[in-house]
Amino acid sequence: MKDADLAIVGAGPAGMAAAAEAASLGLGVTVIDDNARAGGQYFRQPPAGFRHTGAMFLDKDRARGSVLAAALRHPAVAHWQDAVVWDMPEPGVLAVAAGEGSGRVRAKAILVATGAQDRPVPFPGWTLPGVVSAGGLQNLLKGQRVVPGRRAVVVGNGPLLLLIGANLVRAGVEVAAVVEAAPIWNRILPALASLARAPDMLALAIRYRAVLARAGVPVLAGWTVTGAKGDEAVTGCRVAPIDTQGRLDRARERSFDCDLLVAGFGLMPSLELPRLIGAELAYDRRRGGWTVKRDADFQCSVPNVHVAGDGAGIGGAEMALLEGRIAARAVARKLGKQVPADDDLRRAWAKRDAFRRGLEAIYAPPASFLDLMTEDTVVCRCEDVTVGDIAKRRSELAGSVTQVKATTRLSMGRCQGRNCLVTLAAMVAKDTGVDMATIPLPRPRPPLRPIPIGDLAFEDIPPPDIPADPHLPRKQRA
Amino acid sequence: MSAIPRRADIAVIGAGVAGLCTALFLARAGRTVAVLERGEAWGESSGANAGTLSLQVKRNEVLQVSRRAIELWRDFQERDGMEIGFARIGGLRVATSERELVNLRKSQGEQAALGVATEWYDGNRLRDFAPWLGPEVQAATYCDWDSMSVPLTAGHGLVMAVRAAGVTVATGAAVTAIARDGEGFCLQVGSEIVGAAQIVIAAGAWTGDVAQMLGVRLPVAADINMLTISEPAPRLFDRVVTHIGAILSLKQYPNGSVLIGGGWQGTGDLAQGTRRTDYLNLVHNLRVAMQVVPALRHLRMVRSWAGYEGVAADALPLFGALPGVPGAFVNACARGGYHQGPALGEQMAEMILGRKLSLDMRAFDPGRFAA
Amino acid sequence: MSRIDEGLERGTAFAFTLDGQKVEAYPGETIAAALLASGVRALRRTAKRQQPRSLYCGMGICWECLVTVDGAPSQRACMTEAKPGMRVETQKGVGR
Repeated sequence: MKDADLAIVGAGPAGMAAAAEAASLGLGVTVIDDNARAGGQYFRQPPAGFRHTGAMFLDKDRARGSVLAAALRHPAVAHWQDAVVWDMPEPGVLAVAAGEGSGRVRAKAILVATGAQDRPVPFPGWTLPGVVSAGGLQNLLKGQRVVPGRRAVVVGNGPLLLLIGANLVRAGVEVAAVVEAAPIWNRILPALASLARAPDMLALAIRYRAVLARAGVPVLAGWTVTGAKGDEAVTGCRVAPIDTQGRLDRARERSFDCDLLVAGFGLMPSLELPRLIGAELAYDRRRGGWTVKRDADFQCSVPNVHVAGDGAGIGGAEMALLEGRIAARAVARKLGKQVPADDDLRRAWAKRDAFRRGLEAIYAPPASFLDLMTEDTVVCRCEDVTVGDIAKRRSELAGSVTQVKATTRLSMGRCQGRNCLVTLAAMVAKDTGVDMATIPLPRPRPPLRPIPIGDLAFEDIPPPDIPADPHLPRKQRA
Repeated sequence: MSAIPRRADIAVIGAGVAGLCTALFLARAGRTVAVLERGEAWGESSGANAGTLSLQVKRNEVLQVSRRAIELWRDFQERDGMEIGFARIGGLRVATSERELVNLRKSQGEQAALGVATEWYDGNRLRDFAPWLGPEVQAATYCDWDSMSVPLTAGHGLVMAVRAAGVTVATGAAVTAIARDGEGFCLQVGSEIVGAAQIVIAAGAWTGDVAQMLGVRLPVAADINMLTISEPAPRLFDRVVTHIGAILSLKQYPNGSVLIGGGWQGTGDLAQGTRRTDYLNLVHNLRVAMQVVPALRHLRMVRSWAGYEGVAADALPLFGALPGVPGAFVNACARGGYHQGPALGEQMAEMILGRKLSLDMRAFDPGRFAA
Repeated sequence: MSRIDEGLERGTAFAFTLDGQKVEAYPGETIAAALLASGVRALRRTAKRQQPRSLYCGMGICWECLVTVDGAPSQRACMTEAKPGMRVETQKGVGR
């Protein structure tokens, strides 16, 4: 078993910033990340085989990302790449799957910096090839420098859509429309004071809007996708306005031809590890749904476990960087290191927090997107479970979520419910007339991600205790 | 909480396999039955076990019950149309050491004497018969009774069938007190009272708690068995696999997922309702699985979990009249109780109906623990 | 369906195969990136309804872009680096 002062799960903005800060304060740090290169989604680096010859639009944050990633080469930092944290079998211990290097690490403190994923919003045709999540598209652009289409429509909800639209335009893609569910134009004025707290971010947003305007890309605000068309791959999509009561106005439906449909309905925190260890959560739709309750040092309800960045609640990369540093300092302080006062970091954090609130006010989505689904819409991609399959079992079984899962196999596949459980919860909430906040998601079970069984063959552990008569009652480890 | 019936001929406490099967056979005999379940139907051991229906892995004392149960599981699916996922694919029980070889031979002899024949495979015959077994497997017995089922769908199928037979299955209906009422019983369920002429305690690991409500002590331990399921994969092997020495059960479902179990212990505490996987035991469980079927190392595990299994101190079923309480019966805590459930339910119904039992169940009388 | 060449140089192109057909890739590219850049759309068909699927999350969590690589089924095209001579196959259900 390896040892560390601080084990950091995830090498995105929060994780990298925390590692650099902790190492500089004298802590021994282990960073565990499931990617081949540090950066996470935001600072995703192209592969080592690509040689940069000059800055272009996708390189906006590349220099900063490289500096952060370089900090992981500090002698006090062990960077465990292509490594999946799959369990916390006891307090302070993480189980890691990493091929022949698989094993456990014991740390005095743990920082969870697992980032976010796209919120899955099922609509007819959303499983067709050519329908790509916002995060997936960004990764292809930033990390692989590939555009998977010639004519695109960008749909969903949230500030990422303008950025993606602008990036596609600059990558030479014809963007037919950006379709934003929130009526953002009516909401900007009241939020201006908050937005002005982060003038850099505001300037970026204006620039993206200008890129789209110059290219003549319509931005339909208060509209949503209602379906993707195509048999073998996406060939187009339909969009419709949302009225003031949040209802779809299908009479005014329009369609666009496209071979790329980017769907980004906002992000939600990747909460599997906090949920596994029973961290207290709070429901906050604007920050992605379920979020982690934390104290001022970003420690969650489980002692010595801190959660920083989007993995606690959506706040963006700039906030994540600050939270990672603040959390690392708190750990160093607790471990007896000399640590400077955090006032400057906390002031900077407060500005980002105000900006975030402004953005959330502008982009607040409709109550749900459930009206987009039809009988045939797939809810669970892994097991091919449709709205109709769920409805059939729910009527048979008086609506028990557990039994719906058991009999439809919804959430039982490889993605472990990441792309369906929030939809099922929303369906149950709507049918039973209760708030989403009253429907806890089922607790994850190890492994936190599917891992090769063969990875468990390598760690040096004590021999097993095989009972002489396996039929008799057994003893459990305390 | 679902609607609670006011009265039934028989109240069954617990909607796991033992309770539901007991209710099914009683209902088929024309009795009105209410099943009272504190949580969800099929929510504990019955839904959290491996679905292994291996005859040759059972203790000698329960071989007859277990064989009858396989017939009934098959009937449930083929005659009654329940979604059991039942498949009689045959099973191999493997040995990987000299000592295990000796034990396997001995067990084979004992089972043959009890009317359960198995076939011995070793050397090239074994490799031809099961080329997917690892090189450390020295011999195996093949039992053509060994079968498998899918506990998740079986639960749904059985609940639907039991309801169709006229049984009320009330979930979220915890029995908190039981009192005598003349010849019969009153059961407190929340603020409701259920009256029943007879009761059956089929509460699995919680059977001791329920018996205590009637002042009877039954020594019940709760094992915490772990299971792991893999991603769906192309066909790797086609039998139920068990192990005479190390604890293991393996099967590959029609969708391609491999279920790995055997009864390695997780951690937790029944009284506190806690249970989770135990890291070291999980690693050992999967290493044994890889030793027996090496191709498993290329598959990913998707989920592992731990479920309670109530076990009597001597690992035999608690089956029969509750000592000292006329009209009260126990049907619980068989080791491998999921497998045996249909037969235990059938025999329990016969006992309650006052018929002569078709199997000899005397060794399982709960009275053996009466002080 | 194209690569962005502005601001970087890729290494020397190499080939792998998809269902026996040659596909061009550059060092460091993922299988998914090379296939999408070549205009490939569906990467697999689902077991239950035989639906076409392809890259969706692009970060290894949705398991939609599964392909068979050198005989090993269910590898994530978005997380697996393409290598010269690799034999990639689109996958039906769980693969073979």
